[in-house]
Amino acid sequence: MIGVHWDISWHRSIGRDSFWTPAHLAIQLCGILAGISGGYLILATTFADQSPLRAASVRIWGFRGPLGAFIAAWGGIAMIASAPFDNWWHNAYGLDVKILSPPHMVLAAGILAVHVGALILILGYMNRATGEEKPRLRALFLYVGGMILVVLTVLELELTSRAVMHSAVFYRVVATVAPLVLAAVARASRYKWAATWVAGVYSLFVLLISWILPLFPAVPKLGPVLYPVTQFTPPEFPMLLIVPALALDLLWQRTARWGAWKQSVVSGVVFLATFVAVQWPFANFLNSPAARNWFFGTIYFGYNTSPLSLYAKYQFIPADATADFWREMVIALVLSVLLIRLAFACGDRLQRIQR
Amino acid sequence: MKRAPAAVFFQLPLAALFFALPLVAHVGSPDVFYEGDAGPYHLLVTIRPPQVIPGVAQIEIRSASRDVQQVRIVPLRLTGPGAKNAPVPDVADRSHDDPQFYTGALWLMNTGAWQVRVQADGAQGPGMLSVPVPAAALLVLPMQKGLGVGLAVLGLVLFIGMVSIIGAASREAQLEPGKEPDAPHIRRSRIAMGATAVILLGTLWLGATWWGSEAGANEKRIFKPLQLKATVENGDRLALQLNDPGWLNRRTDDLLPDHNHLMHLYVIRIPAMDLVWHLHPERTGGDTFAQSLPSMSAGRYALYGDVVHENGFSETATGEIELPAINGQPLQGDDAGGAAAPVAKADYNSVVAPLSDGYRMVWERGPMPYRARQPYEFRFRVEDSQGRPAEGMELYMGMQGHAAFVRTDRSVFAHVHPSGSVPMAALGLIADSNPHAGHNMMHGEPPAEVSFPWGFPKPGEYRIFVQVKRAGKVETGIFDARVEN
Repeated sequence: MIGVHWDISWHRSIGRDSFWTPAHLAIQLCGILAGISGGYLILATTFADQSPLRAASVRIWGFRGPLGAFIAAWGGIAMIASAPFDNWWHNAYGLDVKILSPPHMVLAAGILAVHVGALILILGYMNRATGEEKPRLRALFLYVGGMILVVLTVLELELTSRAVMHSAVFYRVVATVAPLVLAAVARASRYKWAATWVAGVYSLFVLLISWILPLFPAVPKLGPVLYPVTQFTPPEFPMLLIVPALALDLLWQRTARWGAWKQSVVSGVVFLATFVAVQWPFANFLNSPAARNWFFGTIYFGYNTSPLSLYAKYQFIPADATADFWREMVIALVLSVLLIRLAFACGDRLQRIQR
Repeated sequence: MKRAPAAVFFQLPLAALFFALPLVAHVGSPDVFYEGDAGPYHLLVTIRPPQVIPGVAQIEIRSASRDVQQVRIVPLRLTGPGAKNAPVPDVADRSHDDPQFYTGALWLMNTGAWQVRVQADGAQGPGMLSVPVPAAALLVLPMQKGLGVGLAVLGLVLFIGMVSIIGAASREAQLEPGKEPDAPHIRRSRIAMGATAVILLGTLWLGATWWGSEAGANEKRIFKPLQLKATVENGDRLALQLNDPGWLNRRTDDLLPDHNHLMHLYVIRIPAMDLVWHLHPERTGGDTFAQSLPSMSAGRYALYGDVVHENGFSETATGEIELPAINGQPLQGDDAGGAAAPVAKADYNSVVAPLSDGYRMVWERGPMPYRARQPYEFRFRVEDSQGRPAEGMELYMGMQGHAAFVRTDRSVFAHVHPSGSVPMAALGLIADSNPHAGHNMMHGEPPAEVSFPWGFPKPGEYRIFVQVKRAGKVETGIFDARVEN
């Protein structure tokens, strides 16, 4: 994910250069490493009779290995396959300057699979582990869960800028990923502060990236240059997901005996209410002069950001019509509830993963 | 390292360089040719725009001066905020074999009017020129067969792989280590695999729909030239209307005058290409024009109308009209015409075209065959009946001459002037960096020679219409060229 954020920053500050940029190579190296690691685990388990993993492995196409290794290897292959597809896409359509495109989704599916593979690999060990090993594995598990939240929020970057944080669509978009990840990881880990840790990993990762990237000089190599850039343009300040995550952890500690549906409905309401309650006023702050510093990062813009845009002028997009606003908010709430219920179901199954 | 073609750039006198700059016009000829001065250095710049946007434009620069030490190139928008802040320039690669030849590649990120700024540094200090470039997606490149097969195989592996992974997850992942799956687990695994296959197929269908939607949106971005709808009114009045077939948010009422004319119209009888007129219709409404026709023979005529939009984007509107014999008005102002044998009887070895009063135009073409996609300098001289350089030469619309290159199947049309295929109106928009853009720098009578930098975009047979002005009359010399691959 460092490569992904680096690449997005590269596109915003330097512009597209070639396939062989360091950021692209970092992304693809991740796919290659995942493929090699997963492949090694699979081959070692398959061909070494004395492999300690052999009993705790699954069988696919005559090979044996931990389930997570197969998923990570699948992700590695998908990431590598996305490269020529993406390159052809640029050559055919010239469409590059956006995150949401079919080849980028293949890449995202690969990155997500690498993370989910790692998550399940750890989970298998964790569920079999006893004693001191278990908390260490749980910490790893929560870290990977946080990185999955980073992956999914990157996909939403174009739809979650501070200019849209007073639009209901923003909350609907966030509701499609955050509750799912927070609830699934929390349920699978059976740890009472899991959601807070996951959101904390996400927040810390994005904060570090947003503080470190601008330390490096960069100048646009592409035109039109609408905004003069002298350093790598970082991502925006992380969303305040840590607050609803903390609220959910507190809620789940007190509602463990509730039925899954009842718990999901209340969780959905709590997630959305707390997130709106903190992010809405925080968006006001981000658009204010007080946030125009390196810490909150609203002084940074991409070279192709029009100075006339609402974003550059620290303004919000026009307010939704009342009916539209509430319709989107209701959809956001329903999504939150349903995805948390789905996450509970997945989490319950993940708790039983042994291999 | 690419080497410049063995064309005769700069081995010829270049008096034409000091004349007014041209407007652009092209059909099937997207490459831009420009000859001009970057401070003390005389350069020929060839820009091959990308076929998709964003895409990479290939840049070739030949310096007439041996003392240029470095050439840097950078793309900017022609107008607006993007024209003010330049990205970091790229240093053009200098050919090892030919140190006066430089190449480079630049990304053009948006559709519209761009400029490529060329900065030359050398013994005489720095110099700069800017070349307007219209950027538009021209096509969608198909996927190569090998790549398609490779991606399909990878896709199949990923599809079957995911189905198998979900099957294994349902069958064994929750079992105690060492335990074999029983019949219920195996049955559940098969159901999960079937469901996964259905979900993946649904995802692929959604992906294909999305892909189709993106491709459709891209299709709308592919350049669609303006169309000229032509009718004849009152026996000799040509009425023209610019029709936009629907390309982005283009307007048809935002044209810039180029040498005081909003449209430069070539009218060529087809298929013989034996009659040509270079006319300048007057605007009668937002997108309508009218032109008094000269006396013309009956026949079908092709129309090529060069226009420049207010943002500097230039294009050629095309159309056709069937005309009866026209008993029209004498040619007036800058309007001109010419005649030659039909292209079916073209002599591809002839280098002499007769003009009026016993004068003639001679094409100094040399013995080498012309090849496609190579820049050349097409040089012509005007002689009297005794073979002496013609006297009484004048500027024609502020320049030494005009040339139109037309492929005989009409898939290529280019209106070129002594400094290349760049629109003067667009140059005027970046006059800050081209202080002499559009100005006639020559004093006294022009020489009896004119040259045009251009390159044939593809092989085939071409007819070349060259127009110069002498003794108050526009003369048209017509030549034919066969171009090899």
